[in-house]
Amino acid sequence: MTLQEAQPITTLLDTRTVQSIADEVWPSLVGDGEAFVPVPVPPPGDVVSAWVDIIGPWTGSVVVTCAPATAEALTESVLMTRPPTVVDAEDVADALGELANVLGGNIKSVLPGESRLGLPQMGVAPPHGRLDDVRSLVGQWRGNFLTITVQGAAPAPHAERDEVPL
Amino acid sequence: MRALVIDDSRAMRRIVGTILTGFGYEVREAGDGRLALDVLEEGYVPDLCCIDWNMPVMDGLQFVMAVRANPAYRQVTLMMVTTESETGQIVKALAAGAHEYLIKPFTADALRDKLALLGLLPEEVSA
Repeated sequence: MTLQEAQPITTLLDTRTVQSIADEVWPSLVGDGEAFVPVPVPPPGDVVSAWVDIIGPWTGSVVVTCAPATAEALTESVLMTRPPTVVDAEDVADALGELANVLGGNIKSVLPGESRLGLPQMGVAPPHGRLDDVRSLVGQWRGNFLTITVQGAAPAPHAERDEVPL
Repeated sequence: MRALVIDDSRAMRRIVGTILTGFGYEVREAGDGRLALDVLEEGYVPDLCCIDWNMPVMDGLQFVMAVRANPAYRQVTLMMVTTESETGQIVKALAAGAHEYLIKPFTADALRDKLALLGLLPEEVSA
């Protein structure tokens, strides 16, 4: 089955399921009483993303995106740091990556078939494939913009070149 | 009691370590399975290893198999602490020699319950 023929994530996973996974992950990882609230707020000018890849019958990524300052605050919450302790870039990559990892692992578990989870990565989110293969929850944490996106992988650039024209 | 927390995420090592310390454990950490084996080979043989599955260099399943292949470590209790939650993965880990399996995200109470099942909860905590 090619990426084009695979069932899109929008038919495999609904918004409520992603939200219920986030509802479990936030208090456990980010802290007691913490929540991802699915009420959109305006996006910031600058964002960072952390993601994990899922490779299997459905292949794509689970991406967490927020402003750099939000990522730092999330890290402080995950690590339970208090001033004057400051978190560094490595801490932020680690904490945001683990958030993507735990979300990704739980999302993988509700997808059909056997899949493999990649290691967390951080930077500019990878490109996604077709638009109907993207399930995105836009919301906020402590009033700050944050999105959880489950997105199909973009087809390999050489895939179309291998096709024989009809 | 002594524990070794093995996870490539420092954040997760800190979370698990903090909970275990609260239960009275002495805790050491390792960032992957290979580094964890180094800790064992140095002579720090814990009562409990909490092991993530997906890690670079040596993953959690490989670590479990390596520990179970060495009779010197047969007293060590191995608990997977991971996001891998499919039945097939759980069966694979238990067949390789893991004693228990805790799925992330988890609460301190869930970890306490697992330790109680394993008989690894200090009396003053379980009382």
